[in-house]
Amino acid sequence: MRKILALVLAAAMLLSMTAVASADYSGDLKIWVAEAVVDFTKQAVEDFKAAHPEYAGMTVAVEPVGEGDAASNMITDVEAGADLFVFAQDQLARLVAAGALEEVEPSNAERVAAENDAGSVGAVTLGGKMYAYPMTSDNGYFLYYDKSVVTDPTDLDAILADCEKAGKSFYMEINSGWYQTAFFFGAGCELTYDTDDTGALVGCNASYASENGVKALKTMIKLAKSPAFVNGSSFSTATNVGAIVDGTWDANAAMEAFGENYAACKLPMADGYQLGGFGGFKMLGVKPQTDDDKLAACDALAAFLSSEETQIARYNAVQWGPSNLNAQKLEAIQQNPALAALADQLQYTVPQGQYPGEYWSLATGLGDDILADKLDDADDAKLMEVLTNFQDTAISYANK
Amino acid sequence: MTDLEFLKLSGPAKTAWKIGNFFRLLPGRIGAGCRKLGLGIVRLFRSLGLNLKDLVDTFVHGDWKTKLSYLVMGFGSAARGQWGRGLLFFLFQTVFNFYMIHFGVAYLGKLNTLGTIETYKEGRRTVYGDNSFFILLYGVLTLFFVLAFIYTWRVNIKQNRISEEILKSGRKLKSTKEDLKSLADEQFHKTLLALPTLGVTVFTILPILFMILVAFTNFDATHQPPSKLFTWVGWDNFRQLLSSDTASYGNTFKQVLFWTLVWAFFATFLNYFLGMLVAIMINKKGIKLKKVWRTILVMTIAIPQFVSLLYVSKMFAADGLINSYLMKWGWISQPIPFWTNAGWARFTIILINLWIGIPYLMLIATGILMNIPADLYESARIDGANAFQMYRKITLPYMLFVTGPYLLSSFTGNINNFNVIYLLSGGRPLSLELSGNAGYTDLLITWLYKMTVTDTNYKLAAVMGILVFVVSAVINLIVYNMIPSVKNEEDFQ
Repeated sequence: MRKILALVLAAAMLLSMTAVASADYSGDLKIWVAEAVVDFTKQAVEDFKAAHPEYAGMTVAVEPVGEGDAASNMITDVEAGADLFVFAQDQLARLVAAGALEEVEPSNAERVAAENDAGSVGAVTLGGKMYAYPMTSDNGYFLYYDKSVVTDPTDLDAILADCEKAGKSFYMEINSGWYQTAFFFGAGCELTYDTDDTGALVGCNASYASENGVKALKTMIKLAKSPAFVNGSSFSTATNVGAIVDGTWDANAAMEAFGENYAACKLPMADGYQLGGFGGFKMLGVKPQTDDDKLAACDALAAFLSSEETQIARYNAVQWGPSNLNAQKLEAIQQNPALAALADQLQYTVPQGQYPGEYWSLATGLGDDILADKLDDADDAKLMEVLTNFQDTAISYANK
Repeated sequence: MTDLEFLKLSGPAKTAWKIGNFFRLLPGRIGAGCRKLGLGIVRLFRSLGLNLKDLVDTFVHGDWKTKLSYLVMGFGSAARGQWGRGLLFFLFQTVFNFYMIHFGVAYLGKLNTLGTIETYKEGRRTVYGDNSFFILLYGVLTLFFVLAFIYTWRVNIKQNRISEEILKSGRKLKSTKEDLKSLADEQFHKTLLALPTLGVTVFTILPILFMILVAFTNFDATHQPPSKLFTWVGWDNFRQLLSSDTASYGNTFKQVLFWTLVWAFFATFLNYFLGMLVAIMINKKGIKLKKVWRTILVMTIAIPQFVSLLYVSKMFAADGLINSYLMKWGWISQPIPFWTNAGWARFTIILINLWIGIPYLMLIATGILMNIPADLYESARIDGANAFQMYRKITLPYMLFVTGPYLLSSFTGNINNFNVIYLLSGGRPLSLELSGNAGYTDLLITWLYKMTVTDTNYKLAAVMGILVFVVSAVINLIVYNMIPSVKNEEDFQ
């Protein structure tokens, strides 16, 4: 019995040695990407196999799983999850904490750091370790508007007045923790979390309970009272858009709906300050692997799918704004109205770091309270109390 | 109070007395229940003691075949010529031993810690350590297996004793052939029930026990197998959900439970009475186009609920059909906050639920109403009763008698009515006054869903599952004993 075991072990060792030498892999691989890029990704995988004959025998399944679901699904069941998956950077800490992300291979990490914009590189790094490959720098929001309705897109009050006059609506999802920061960050508040390299939140820097916070909250309350205001951010389900705060993923829907009146620009000024918000990124993660060869294959494919050529090809196919510095210099990309508006807005935004899952429902709670008119006749002291409460709760998430 | 005194009371006083009586009797009933439980436990221990005594007796008085059967299951049966039984016992013991040596012992041994070996890296390769999830699952499965083994072992001993007695009295034992034949004859119930019992144990009881146990662990997003371990934490999760310090969910839980009960009450009884009313109206003599009215109502059933609910939810949105038209006609200047204001949202949900629920009730009620003997109404009319009196004294008691169990099950169903709430409002609006991602229209069951799917907080979701069961069970038990179909079984026969 022992002899056989020794033999098997020796054979396994020999096998793994030869495998390291040639590093070919011909098993299965699963990729999760958003529905819109499934066809594109399939094509990219074929290109990858053509460029890397050692992986030509690999069977790659590309499945449509949205960026938000991908992270949740991975956390729910790591073993059944995809080997490569695309997600938005706010999920990074959660995924690392759940053990669903492998560190980026060291030589790839160097290249990624050199070739992509600083914001995206910061976003894939946790406590000095790089955990994912940046793919896009377009996960932010800005203003789409109808030129025939909105005459002055630089001021929030003017936009609301124009929309009201035309019987159109102004859409912004103020009960989302993501869009809400446009006001708070714009007014000069801060809310970020510190993480260590295991994805645990170890600190919180918050200044919502301040004069600036009250100013931001007042803008939101005023906005919610406007008859033209509708809470929402999805162009495809909006019915009567004059202007909408939305992201590049809805560019086609906006173009179609507005026709020749289609326009996009940075967010407006409100009550004397420029609306800010999050700048975000989409990234590609690799699942921890128990097999060295498969890991090598995943590394190589991830590097390929996030490379300059693939990012440019992806822009051409589905207009996702690249994070690669060389790709960003392309003329076509610089003249795309939505991406130009986003680039303009990005100078006022904060690269989105890591937030605990509870933050999003806390922010929705604040937004819902505003929408339910609970804060309508609150004075400054009351608003300050609400924000102090909010801030204390937000800080408590980091000290668990 | 005597019957005569009771009859003298006015209507409201009667109801008040009945309600008071219910609470007067409650302590006694609870006491009786506790006593029953105590007696049950005593009986359990007594039967355990008897079994032990019987085991010893059998061993002392039994022959060598019986004695050997204590070690080798089925030996006695086989030695006495019952090959089939002996083989089955022996096979079971072999499988059990094999399982325990190769899997069971390892899982059982780790059940108290749920694993200690952490996941680590070897170079860039990941080597997974203990998987707490599997340890818990297979640990519980192994416990079941051990219990099954003890039971089978006990049966094996008992068989020996019975066989000895039969042989002593000069009768013959059943042969394997006869055993097999009896499985299709007087033992047929065992043949029939074997598979379902096994299925229920593995697919229902085991998962339920597993979920109950999860409630006592820290299984959540940051303790996620296979990369991370989770372990036992005792009653911590119950404390977090029920106590009302700031970091706990106690206040939110109260709020959600309150709304769950309010919702279940209105969703059940409004639907019930309005559905009945619609049925009575359509049933009335002289109403034309009865079939048309019924068809129109039944149309709402024909469309899948999730389609119609999502659509209606959008209709009531701030930029939806209803608000747009009301504003266009100048009836309102601001959209009505159907989904953003807690009160409005609750009202709207109940209202929309009527639209879905009434057709079902109308169908049920129509059938029952047609069954009420017409002569009852006729004589009531001769006695000078008006329509409302006839409804209260004839229609309603009859309906309540027939549909009592339905009402109860639909109340429980509404406590767990996930579809309507989740598709209409998703539990929103949230508020800073609530914690744990719960909103003002969340039921316990939708909150549980959010905890599992959105927040990956399995430990609290498991606690919630237990509490949902407790709430439903308590209400069911109380109401079940009060409905006329159970209490006055003979009334309408």
